[in-house]
Amino acid sequence: MALANVLGFKSNNEFDRSLQCQKTDNNIDEFCPTLNIENIAQFITLPPYADPAKYLKMVNEKVDRVKIQFLKGTTTLAFKFRNGVIVAVDSRATAGGFIASGEVKKVIEINPYLLGTMAGGAADCAFWERVLARHCRIYELRNKEKISVAAASKILANMIFEYRGMGLSMGTMIVGWDKRGPGLYMVSDDGERISDNIFSVGSGSIYAYSILDAGYKYEMSTVDAIDLARRAIVHAAHRDAASGNIVRIYHMKETGWEKIEEKDTNDYMYQYRDEKTMNF
Amino acid sequence: MGDDILSYNGGVALAMKGKECIAIACDKRYGVQNRTIATNFTKIFQYSDHCFVAFCGLATDVQTVSERLKFRTNLYELREQRKLKPNVLYNMLTNLLYERRFGPYFVFALVVGLDPKTGETFVYDSDNIGAISDNVNLVTVGTASEYIFGLGELFFKPNMNADELFEATSQALLNGVDRDSASGWGAVVYVIEKDKITVRELKGRQD
Repeated sequence: MALANVLGFKSNNEFDRSLQCQKTDNNIDEFCPTLNIENIAQFITLPPYADPAKYLKMVNEKVDRVKIQFLKGTTTLAFKFRNGVIVAVDSRATAGGFIASGEVKKVIEINPYLLGTMAGGAADCAFWERVLARHCRIYELRNKEKISVAAASKILANMIFEYRGMGLSMGTMIVGWDKRGPGLYMVSDDGERISDNIFSVGSGSIYAYSILDAGYKYEMSTVDAIDLARRAIVHAAHRDAASGNIVRIYHMKETGWEKIEEKDTNDYMYQYRDEKTMNF
Repeated sequence: MGDDILSYNGGVALAMKGKECIAIACDKRYGVQNRTIATNFTKIFQYSDHCFVAFCGLATDVQTVSERLKFRTNLYELREQRKLKPNVLYNMLTNLLYERRFGPYFVFALVVGLDPKTGETFVYDSDNIGAISDNVNLVTVGTASEYIFGLGELFFKPNMNADELFEATSQALLNGVDRDSASGWGAVVYVIEKDKITVRELKGRQD
């Protein structure tokens, strides 16, 4: 064995293998490095050729009848008002015409004072918002203060920008409350990041916008704001085939978010019809 | 939705046979891909006292084919001085559709009928170029047809009476359309018996 070691000979018998294992254990960090934004490519398998953006485009556009259609079939909305931010979403997931699920959780609870919404690819939204949660926690530990909504949304937008053109599909709204007050940013897969008072994302957003624009006042009470958000989702669920099932509403306050309700849109539709505010 | 022409407007219809009675049902949605425009577009048309046809597919063809078939059946009744039988109706439909074999209408049809004297029931299914099935127990057409077929097969029993038939048809239709985004928004069911026809509107999900 001594001679074998001196000569650098590696053999397969038990004795040598156990020595090799010890060596591995000491240098375990080399084999399992920690995940951070610089080396994320080691953990996510990118295609094994140069310029993946150019070839991955093929699966998004129709070349040779191959197309992964990410239909942003959903309705999500969020708006700022006097008492914080209201976030409301539907819960339907469609794959072409088939309703794959009526119980999808489209609001992602990043941490007790940050929420993200899901539109587009569910896996994309869920994964990247979980990475964002990790970054927000590390910021909090390093700086002894909560991260601002602007910073959190910028981290997400920058992460997504690295993968621009490769077929990520996300239309997400980051909602929170920091020392500047309520915060609302829309971040999408083409790298866009904008802030405003009212946003709606998804195929049903056109119907939700009309209800929101008609009834929105910054000085609304909380009860009115929740009612406006609920009506917007219910109207969108009625008109848009790709939205529906359950409406979920969250309220972002200074003390963090609170889940207001989770009810069936169909029950509200019949209720609004009886009140003559909806017609079918 | 994709660019499939048969799912451009959506919609679904179902027919089931019972003992001396038939049920035919359809949803009421009129939409253009994801957008729902109206919730009063029924797809069932009456051609004689006990003969009904349901058309599903492209909405413009649903209207055109139903009206062209009405033209031919009206002429038949005037010339022959008698009411249509289900066999005659389905033969007329086959010919109408096959005339356009190389530029077809985009509708699939269900033809149902009852002979009021004998109580014999007829339920047929047609594709868009006129291939008619045999006289069967259960037929469905439309974007949600696969989902409704499964439920229909589950709820179907031979020789059901009118009430059981109505229940089975309604449950199959209502639960099947809840899995399809292009159908639903209410439903209507016709139960055809020897002496009466009952039309009922179903309260379905409006999303």
